[in-house]
Amino acid sequence: MRLSEMLQEDTVVVGFKGIKKQEILEELIDLAEKTGKIHDKKEALKAVMVREQMMSTGLEHGIAVPHAKTGSVSEMVMAMGLCRDGVDFESVDGEPSRIFFLLLAPENAAAANVKLLAQIARITSRPEFRKKLVQASTPAEVINIIRAGE
Amino acid sequence: MGSIKPVQKILLYVDGSEECITAAQYAIVLAKEYKAELVAMYVVNESMLKELLKANIFIKAEEMDYEHDLMQDGERYLRYISQLAQDKGLTIETRIEKGVVNKIVVDAISELQADLIVLGELEEFLSRSDSFHDENELICRKAGCSVVIVKDPDRVESLYNMI
Repeated sequence: MRLSEMLQEDTVVVGFKGIKKQEILEELIDLAEKTGKIHDKKEALKAVMVREQMMSTGLEHGIAVPHAKTGSVSEMVMAMGLCRDGVDFESVDGEPSRIFFLLLAPENAAAANVKLLAQIARITSRPEFRKKLVQASTPAEVINIIRAGE
Repeated sequence: MGSIKPVQKILLYVDGSEECITAAQYAIVLAKEYKAELVAMYVVNESMLKELLKANIFIKAEEMDYEHDLMQDGERYLRYISQLAQDKGLTIETRIEKGVVNKIVVDAISELQADLIVLGELEEFLSRSDSFHDENELICRKAGCSVVIVKDPDRVESLYNMI
């Protein structure tokens, strides 16, 4: 399963309403809910928050990958968001986060989960990809950039 | 053909995909028809887990947790495949390992002196970087024996049901 195939236009946002970490996570969960594949939104958010409390999923170079295994989904669910100005996401390098991938996985999908996370790690490791992505102005453009980068 | 036995030992690589179940059915058909030994092997992809740890996507506890999950996945798949074989009167050997997948599988081919490795169908579309990292592709290239990549699940299912 390719990364671009996990996304649809209504699960991608270019510009969050919120400016704080908690608000960003809530918006990402709201986006993911549009897939119709989340049985329990509160549980999904709780699972993501538990993971955040262990260690922030804000990585280097403005990337954040909040993720969790949760019984609130029966299949992999993904959402994405961009914030050109950046948000303090308590990232490992102290820099603001601009590109957010949310991934929710059921308890029994370890292999698929690991593969998708590895795809995210690989594609976002490329500076030219990150630069292009953060400049996208519509969800369709975001998905096209990801598709082209795969 | 006389007494020539073209296939004596088959290694089935189990990667936890739907395609590997089709591959298992086909391997069982081959093993039955050629009276060959069949070994099914699952490898926990430690490289990918370490990649995620290095990228800070995983913390250590997660790496261990997912390794455990992948191990359980492997055990579940191998149990299922054993049952598929048993249903056709075959007893197969199963193995579960962890490490660099393609290396472990290629080494197993040598160790077992397998003359055929059976894999599930490769993913149709892979990103450039994922293609580089794709274990099934690497196994195909490095295997020291012939490789069968199983396709056409409906036909394979019919064959399996016929034996």
